[in-house]
Formats: sequence, C-alpha cells, structure tokens
Amino acid sequence: MWWKRTSDSRYPKPLAGDWFVIVTSCLMVLMLLNSLWSHQPANRLEVRQGDQIVGVYDLNQVRSLSFRGPLGISEVVIQQGKARFKHSPCSNQYCVHQGWLSKAGQLSICLPNHISLELLGAQKPYDSLNY
Amino acid sequence: MGHKSRMTRSTISIKTTQEDHRIAKLTALAIGLHVLEAIFPSPLPGVKPGIANIVTLFVLLEFDFATAAWVSLLRVFASSLLLGHFLSPTFVLSLSGTIASLMVLWLAQYLPKKHFSAISISVLAAFGHIAGQLSVVRLWLIPQAGVAYLIPIFALAALFFGCMNGLIVARLLRDQQ
Amino acid sequence: MRALIIIFFGLLLAGCSREEPIYHMQSFVFGTMVDITIYGESEEDAQAISNDIIRQFQDLHNRLHSWRPSEVTALNHAYKRGKVPTRISADVADMIAEATDLSIKSKGLFNPAIGELIHHWGFQKDEFKPAKIDPKRIADLVKADPQMVDIVVENGKSYSTNPTVQLDLGGYAKGYALDQALLILRRQGVRNALVNIGGNIIALGQHGTQPWRVGIQHPRKPDAIATLDLPSGWAIGTSGDYQRYFELKGTRYCHIINPATGYPVQGVQSVTVLISPQPNAGVLSDVTSKPIFISQPDARAAMAKQMEVKDYLVIESDTKILASASMTKRLNWLDKQAEKHVVETH
Repeated sequence: MWWKRTSDSRYPKPLAGDWFVIVTSCLMVLMLLNSLWSHQPANRLEVRQGDQIVGVYDLNQVRSLSFRGPLGISEVVIQQGKARFKHSPCSNQYCVHQGWLSKAGQLSICLPNHISLELLGAQKPYDSLNY
Repeated sequence: MGHKSRMTRSTISIKTTQEDHRIAKLTALAIGLHVLEAIFPSPLPGVKPGIANIVTLFVLLEFDFATAAWVSLLRVFASSLLLGHFLSPTFVLSLSGTIASLMVLWLAQYLPKKHFSAISISVLAAFGHIAGQLSVVRLWLIPQAGVAYLIPIFALAALFFGCMNGLIVARLLRDQQ
Repeated sequence: MRALIIIFFGLLLAGCSREEPIYHMQSFVFGTMVDITIYGESEEDAQAISNDIIRQFQDLHNRLHSWRPSEVTALNHAYKRGKVPTRISADVADMIAEATDLSIKSKGLFNPAIGELIHHWGFQKDEFKPAKIDPKRIADLVKADPQMVDIVVENGKSYSTNPTVQLDLGGYAKGYALDQALLILRRQGVRNALVNIGGNIIALGQHGTQPWRVGIQHPRKPDAIATLDLPSGWAIGTSGDYQRYFELKGTRYCHIINPATGYPVQGVQSVTVLISPQPNAGVLSDVTSKPIFISQPDARAAMAKQMEVKDYLVIESDTKILASASMTKRLNWLDKQAEKHVVETH
C-alpha cells in the first residue's frame, strides 16, 4: 500500500487556489469526454494516406484492405461494424495495439507509415421511422 | 637551451558562482530525466509523465522565469540530440509543447503564492503543453478534424501528471527550507 | 495523492462508460417489423421488459390473425353459418365494440367487416401477387354490405346477422397492441420508451433531454420526407399505398379498399395522423388514417374533423401535399422540394 506513505504529512496540502484549478480542470475534462467521445455507432471507415483520403468503406462487411506507406504495407481489417489495423510496419505498433474501432469519431493512426483510420457515422435525424 | 614560448600565456577565466553550478546540475538532471523517460515505452503515443518538467518548475520557483526557460529549452535541444531525433517530428512536438507551457508559466508565475502552490502552476503548464502539441499535430502532422478524438485522453493525462509533478515540486521546495 | 488517483480513475471511468442508457430491440411480429426503444433502464431490465412486450404481441397476433387459425377466424367461421352464437373472449368483444363505434363515426369508410373483399384482392397473404380481378364478384361483395353493426355480442357469445361479415382486424390490431405496450411499460415503471409496430409509433417520455423524434417515410423514396417530435403519450400512424400493394398493367392496387366501391383507393399516396394522449391513442393512430385516405380529396378535411384528428398530413403526389395548420407547425421538412408544395387546410 505504497500510497499510504504519501499521506498529507509527507506532501504539502494543496491550497485553496490549487483545488480551484484541479476542480475546474476536472470539469473541463468531463466536458471534453462528453462532447468529443462519441457514443454513436459508426457505419463507414475513412482511410487516409498522409492527408489524402484514399478510400471510404462500408463497415457492414468482412474485408481486408492493404495500404502502402513509406515504411511498407499496413493491413486493415473491417468486421461488421468494427475496423482495426491488423499489421503495420512501424516499430512502436501503437496503431495495432489500439485494437478495434467501433464508434463514430474514433481514430487510429500509424504515424510512421502515414496511414490513418477514422470511423464515420451517419447522423440519423430521427429515433424511429413512421411508414 | 630554454624553450621559452613566444606566446603569452593567457587564461580566460569565467567566474562561476555556486548558483551557476547548481543550475548546470539541474539542467543535466532535466536532460537525464527526459532521456530516461523517452527510453521507457508508454502505452499511448505521446502520453508521458513529463518528469523533466519537475526540474523546470523547481527552477522557476527557486530562481526565476528566465532561468527556467533557459533550462527548459536547453533540455529539449540537448535531449533530442542525444536521442538522435533532432529536427524530427518528435523534436518539433517537444519544442512546441515546451514553448506553449513556458508561455503559460510566464503568466502563472504571478499567481499569488498564498492561494496557489506549485500544483496549480504545474497543472496549468501541463495543459499548455498539450495544447501546444495538439496544435502542431492538427496543423501539420495529422490535418484532419478527427484529431479532436485524441484531446480527452491528453487532457486527462495533463491533469493527472500535472498534479503529480506539482506535488513533487511542492515537496522538494518545502524540504529546501 | 490518494484523492488524485481516485479522481483520475473516476474521470477515466466516467469518460469510458458514457454510453447512452438506450436499449433497442427489433423483432418480427404482426407480419412486420417491431422496434422497441427503452431509455434510462439497465440493459437487463430493458431486455426483460421488451421480451415481455414481444410475447404479448405474439399472443395478440396469434389470437387475432386474419387468415391463420385464430379466435378471429373462428368467429368468422361462425358468422358465415348465420345466427349461431359462438364464444368470444372479453377483450375481443371490447375490440369489436370499439371498432364498431369507429366504423360508425367514419361513416362506414373504416370497415373491418369486409374480410371477404380483402381476401378477394389477395391481401390476406404474406406476399401479394396481382389478383385476378372479378368485377362481378366485387360488386356482389359490395352489395352484400357487411357492416360491424351486423355483429351481435351478448353474454360472452357472438353471432352475425349478415353471413358475409368477415372480420379483418388488420387496420386495428397494431394500434391496439401499441396501447397494450404502453400499459405494460407504465406498469413496469419505465418512464421513457418508443414503440414502433410496422411504422405505427407511440411515445412514452423522452429521449433523455429531448423529445422522441420520428421520421415520416416519403411515399416514393427510401428517405424520410419530414420529421416531427412525438411528445409523451402521442401516437402517429400512416396509411400508405406503398406498404402493401401490387401493380397490374401499370396501375397500383394497394391494400386499402374502399368498402363503398370494393376497389383499392387510387389517387393518394399517404395519409399521416397524429393522435394526442388518450387510453386508445394507439388504436386511433392506426384506424383514423384510413377513412381520411379513402375519402374524396375535397372531403378529407371534413373526415379528419369527423374523426377528431387535428394533426394530419395528406400526400397525394410529389406536387400535391395537404397539411392541417396544426400539423404544419410540427413538421420539420427534410425534402425541401416537397415543402414547396404544401397547402394548409383549415
């Protein structure tokens, strides 16, 4: 229980202004999470090479795609509403480790190989259709 | 047979104070911390505790802004040379983050010490840092609107590590007294 | 320091589990798509309640089926044989009573007793092929004049004074089911939900902080022509010539038959009605669009008034659209071309 050692007597107590900054920052982080992290399901995958869009693909399929970048070929896989980097020639493998993207607005980037994936979703203007 | 040199011996002596020694040591420490942190892999790209900033903050509060800026910028250049990515995107990100956070520090240093300790300054500077970095990412590295998706996780890291570093600096300062 | 760690993980969790508490279930009942949306309940509860509703729907569907063996077919069988009283369950008796009232109110344009005619046109099937039109047979069926008032219900038994009465509750059962669903939801303590049976929708509560929003299908395109907010308790229903129909020699024959002529209605593509909160809002949303659909163009506004419908939309074609003043205020047009052709009725 290493954190017990760092009780208030070891570390200085935050002052009034500190708490203000901390709380305001917390609220801001919550607001950012709320507004920027979408909960909408996605229906398309947009792939870019550098800043050029090289393809928009329907997510409702099972498909493998390959894209060539300066380091080599990055393999992308689409699977019924999800997409991810399967293989990439970068050394850090951040893109592959990110795993499946499934919501509109989510982003996965292989910076070294200049390939990026972004999920897009259609904004349905209604909750249900009358017909 | 005496070989008496024709050249007059001259010594250039630079008077270094104890303070200078101290600052030099701190700068070296900052560089060391930065390099150490760079070697450790982080689970998310660009999300790091930024422990070298502890030194920057300490210098700011023990000495003055100018010294802190100097230590900070020197750290960025020296580390990138040591790590071998001078003038690479990583360096640009590091530099832009540092400049942005220095701008915030320049303002934050005037916060009344009665109510704001190192914690506030650290958190604010951390947010400045990520703001600078995300701007470079958006304008140059990844010019797509989707970058907004990265903001929440960076903000969370800035808050958490900003607090952590701030607490450490506050303790170090208190122990100095 | 401890507090900070807690705050950090709290924020992370708050950010991650920021899923909207919304539950969707799609099913196939009443020969059509059923969509249940529940907001603000745990996934387990929402699932259990939805399953319960679907079970009730399935039960109703089986009991009221127009052509597969059911309580309705049993009654129809008895009605054909003349004045032979047959057992009728209490709720079906109530349904007949309500349908009769509405039939009278609609001056006979809403007539669930014309099962024979519907059968002749081939609409008592899951798929429709162009029917062999027999004008003589149709004329005979019309002349026979089966009416809801011909049905007698007393002492838990029912018979018909007109042997040509054949019940087809197709234009009633979905609305009835909607009202039942609302009862179940309310009983279970659900505050916010949306139920869609084959396009007929009823709303409960809101979609979080916003009212439920429904789209109205364009009669000829795969998009919504307009949207509107459906406040709690309100129901919306549409009769359209694009839902169940067949085409023969370039003419479209839809499933809505004019009891007076015996032929499917021509000249109008859809009629949408909005019903205010009341115990039988669902039934009314299903039933009242039909007499308006069947009426002559210049008699539609009067029929809407007769059926006590304040909010209605009539789409005769791409360029001829009528909407009541009250409805116009609610509509948010997605099809700007269509919006240009809207005429307000008073």
